[in-house]
Amino acid sequence: MTEWVVPAAAVPSSPRMTTFARVVAGVVAIGVKELRGRMRGRRAFVIVTIYLALLAIFALMVERIIEANYSTGFGGVAINASAAIGQGIFAATLMLMTLQVAFLAPSSTAGAISLEREKQTLELLVTTPISSFAIVVGKLLSALIYLFLLIAASIPLMAAVFVFGGVGPEDIAKGYIVLIVTAIGLGSFGLLCSSVVKRTTAATAITIFGVLAITIGTLFILGFWQAMSGFDQNGNRKPGPFGIRSPAPLAWVNPFVAEADVLCGTESSFGGGWCGLVSGLVPTNEGVIFTNDPGVGIPAVPVPMPVGVPEKGFVPGGGMVAVDDLGGRRGPVADVAVDPSQPFGVQRDGLWTRSVATWLVLSAIFILLSVQAVSPTRRWRLRRGARVPKAPAA
Amino acid sequence: MTEIVRTDGLVKRYDGTLAVAGVDLIVEQGEIFGLVGPNGAGKTTTLRILATLLAPSAGTAEIAGMSVTRNPDQVRRVIGFMPDAFGVYDDMKVWEYLDFFARCYGIAPAARRRVIADLLELVDLADKRDSYVQTLSRGMQQRLCLAHALVHDPQVLLLDEPASGLDPRARVELRELLRELRAMGKTILISSHILPELEELCTSVVIIDRGQVLAQGRVADIERRLRFGAVLRVRLLLEGEALEAARDRFASDPDVASATLLDDGTIELGFRGDDAASARLLAASVAAGLPIVSFARAASDLEELFLQVTAADQPPVAAA
Repeated sequence: MTEWVVPAAAVPSSPRMTTFARVVAGVVAIGVKELRGRMRGRRAFVIVTIYLALLAIFALMVERIIEANYSTGFGGVAINASAAIGQGIFAATLMLMTLQVAFLAPSSTAGAISLEREKQTLELLVTTPISSFAIVVGKLLSALIYLFLLIAASIPLMAAVFVFGGVGPEDIAKGYIVLIVTAIGLGSFGLLCSSVVKRTTAATAITIFGVLAITIGTLFILGFWQAMSGFDQNGNRKPGPFGIRSPAPLAWVNPFVAEADVLCGTESSFGGGWCGLVSGLVPTNEGVIFTNDPGVGIPAVPVPMPVGVPEKGFVPGGGMVAVDDLGGRRGPVADVAVDPSQPFGVQRDGLWTRSVATWLVLSAIFILLSVQAVSPTRRWRLRRGARVPKAPAA
Repeated sequence: MTEIVRTDGLVKRYDGTLAVAGVDLIVEQGEIFGLVGPNGAGKTTTLRILATLLAPSAGTAEIAGMSVTRNPDQVRRVIGFMPDAFGVYDDMKVWEYLDFFARCYGIAPAARRRVIADLLELVDLADKRDSYVQTLSRGMQQRLCLAHALVHDPQVLLLDEPASGLDPRARVELRELLRELRAMGKTILISSHILPELEELCTSVVIIDRGQVLAQGRVADIERRLRFGAVLRVRLLLEGEALEAARDRFASDPDVASATLLDDGTIELGFRGDDAASARLLAASVAAGLPIVSFARAASDLEELFLQVTAADQPPVAAA
């Protein structure tokens, strides 16, 4: 047997390495380990290929459906057909990918820590100098990296919508930002379940229930509120159950609503569509835009308003807006601030940014809680009768 | 010799159960230190506290002068821990397994390659370098786990029941490996409930039961101490009443705590005296004309020491 000696320079003494460098080294160590297993052989690349093929077939089918609708003559004006097809493909593909992220991201992290516990490998890991933070972040990133690969692989496919038009590059960028942040957010949610719940099956079940609550649950509650709170005779919204107008922040955690808001940005008309869905679920104005309240007698001023986004090539008509800053008159709904760039009271681009911010904050919280749960001698431990016992008398 | 591991009044309580009740240990550098005790005695808990996996409820533990609770990061750099039950990652080759842990310790790529090659040689797995970890036998996995605990050249090895589940041949190999590591200057703390496996190997032992230290010190020291509670077996060429009279004669000796006549005609003496006292007793008995066939101390190996020390009514014995 040979003598083995680790050269002194090989083991960096901790003070010489900055905390950041150590975290990065730990994340890289875990990432390399996880990816070695996951990317071995052809399997990973075959899956990407199949995934892209299916996504392409799906997009093609959507294109065919929209085209077929137009050819029947009920679809709308043929001049808009190309833009509508582009928007339709974008919407369908984005929503499909959101669905995929909403379930794949948390389920790929739901076993990350609990499997290490079950296989009794976590103890080997936490007795190394790798920090719990590096373990958690390394696990999260390596679990999500394959999903990110799928998302990245779909970008060229998504670019096909430019052939049809109706969607701007910034819309696609927004859609992908929401996808990636949602993946991180739901991924850290799965990781938290995995680090708190001991068993993988239980962690996965809790994670899936959580995702259902975040997606379908929030939609249902918002829909319920919407149905319970109508408008009064002045056109002002009545308070809903418990006197709360709308639990709008619930919509911030719903990635589908955020993507619907992104899709609303591609639309050029109010009245249905994604904008209608978003403003229906999440009322952004508590009053009315159109008013003919005789008691006040302010004439509605016809203002030529650009409708839609000009560069998307659809600028017909005008609207009637009674707002306070037109000629300095204050109307009955004067306390409602309406941005002239947001025609018809449709709040565009307001929701997805909040959703992104919310998920970034939630991710940070989930990651910190996971770090606590992974750390073997954690400081904040929930304990009943948390008294440190005194040493027994000798 | 300098002390490298020290615990003072270590206490660990789980939901009202006292797993470790004030353990004081001193381990000197270069020792193979055995923790002996029945299952549930607190050996594993003690080792896990030393491995920074558990926070003690009270008391202190230091390794190489660093507190395991205040400086866990520094402590982790000087210890190599091998838990009782450990798993291996699927989908991982033997060299990748060691490479992963070497990365965890921040070892540079060039040094990593050399360390892995040397360690595989040391634990005799060089020909398994490219095998998948899950295909190794239990003994090989055990050696691989030991190798993982050595990638950063730690001063102290904490091995929890390293020989459990190994066949006799693998046990012998493990013992050889541990001796070799000791020769390299490592301090090894090893726990076991199988005593013969520690007896040959350990320089010092601590006997733990119900979370308390019953005896601690060099194996020979403990043995000498416990000889005060030794059992002497005396066979005489006597029968019947003469034998009972002989028993009573032994019982009257101040060093004899008890004298029992066994069915096979042997007299068993609970003896409080040391070796000199037993020599004196033998000489006196022979001088008194007792026809003694054999006069011997019952064999006292670690197993017997253990049984004596852990007997329920036995007060803790402190070794010098």
